[in-house]
Amino acid sequence: MHGSSDRSRLWIRVFAAPIVIAAATMAGLLAALLWGTVGQYVAWVTVGAPVLVVAWVWVRCRTTKTGQFSRAARGK
Amino acid sequence: MKARTVRLWSVVHTWTSLISTVFLLLLCLTGLPLIFHHEIDELLGYAPQPEAHGGAARATTQAVADAALAADPGRVLQYISWDKDEPGIVTAFTNSAVDGLPDNTTVRAFDAVSTKLLGPVGIGPMLIMLKLHTDMFAGQPGKLFLGGMGLLFAIAIVSGVVLYWPFTRRLRFAIIRDHASCRVRWLDWHNLIGVVTVAWALVVGLTGVVNTWAELMLNQWKATELASMVAPYAGKPPPSHLASLDDVVARAKLTAPGMEVAFIAFPGTPFTSSHHFAAFMRGDTALTARLLKPVLLDGETGEVADSRALPVYLQALLISQPLHFGDYGGMPLKVIWAALDLLTIVVIGSGLYLWLVRRRKRALGRTDAFARRAPVPS
Repeated sequence: MHGSSDRSRLWIRVFAAPIVIAAATMAGLLAALLWGTVGQYVAWVTVGAPVLVVAWVWVRCRTTKTGQFSRAARGK
Repeated sequence: MKARTVRLWSVVHTWTSLISTVFLLLLCLTGLPLIFHHEIDELLGYAPQPEAHGGAARATTQAVADAALAADPGRVLQYISWDKDEPGIVTAFTNSAVDGLPDNTTVRAFDAVSTKLLGPVGIGPMLIMLKLHTDMFAGQPGKLFLGGMGLLFAIAIVSGVVLYWPFTRRLRFAIIRDHASCRVRWLDWHNLIGVVTVAWALVVGLTGVVNTWAELMLNQWKATELASMVAPYAGKPPPSHLASLDDVVARAKLTAPGMEVAFIAFPGTPFTSSHHFAAFMRGDTALTARLLKPVLLDGETGEVADSRALPVYLQALLISQPLHFGDYGGMPLKVIWAALDLLTIVVIGSGLYLWLVRRRKRALGRTDAFARRAPVPS
């Protein structure tokens, strides 16, 4: 029982974000087709969400690297 | 998930990806400029520009048809179309015969008011991109082959999602292990980009597959729905003279109130019977503008013969087109489409890199094992 609930919690932790992003993408793709101009605005945000996530992770990696480099330089 | 199951899914993911890699890269690379084909055509001077007329009345359809035939003497009209986003332009398709080969079709744009010839349509570098993207210059077999590659892509995506669990369950979402080896870093990027773009990639991949079946679907419609619509006219010869196109347009609009003509197919073309005009009508909302409704009209008298909604599979085809092209949400959506296309190229490239690295590692492992087994010279 315990193991099964732990596994489902783990499953949710792994797949929650991808599922939310996928649902947002699908909603955006359909919104632009069904709701005219308002749908277009929705699509720009939701279909663009995966691009934003990747950009955010890339910036985070760059800033972490730069921060470590600066700290190392200061330490010297 | 058992180790054996993971291995099985891994084999599916590896081989479906590897087999389709080259073609997917071709599709992504040619698809990228095609997202902006309109803008590129305009920039390179291949997009016809309508004349400025203020609020002048548009020329009649018959006048456009006459101008198109005068511009291409000795040939026949196949289609006349109106783009809702280009109200100042009417496009005419001429060919050596109504059922002539698609490659022999000449497409020209005419001013919607003066009927002046504005120039050819669908030429230049974007045509080469389009041909590479749709059939690799191999016609229908090329289309179906690329459709098969699209299906492999879809299987690769699904198997990738299954494998996401065993590979990332010990990690938080969007973690890139920057201090690890280059292979591990690229594995993290491959997993992250792959999983966040999964819905878009599946939609674009599968709608692309559906588009490769367009001709088969059209043939099915002709053999079933269209055949039953024209059954009362069976045995009638092709029209000896054609009805006035202005009559055809007026009657089609009366039959489908509130709709505009998207295009007219002339008798004998692939979109209609040998005896009928087909006026394909569209609505004015984002969705209904895609869902065409055919009205069949007698080629000689212009009388309405029948009008029915398209079957579900053709409606699915029509809806799948914008979802594949990404041209229905303005310039920002096109830019997002291009960014997602680039991310897909990164996923394909990183997948190939990971496979090559693993292969090299295994080969090295085998060499080491062989060296260990080899007798030591005394």
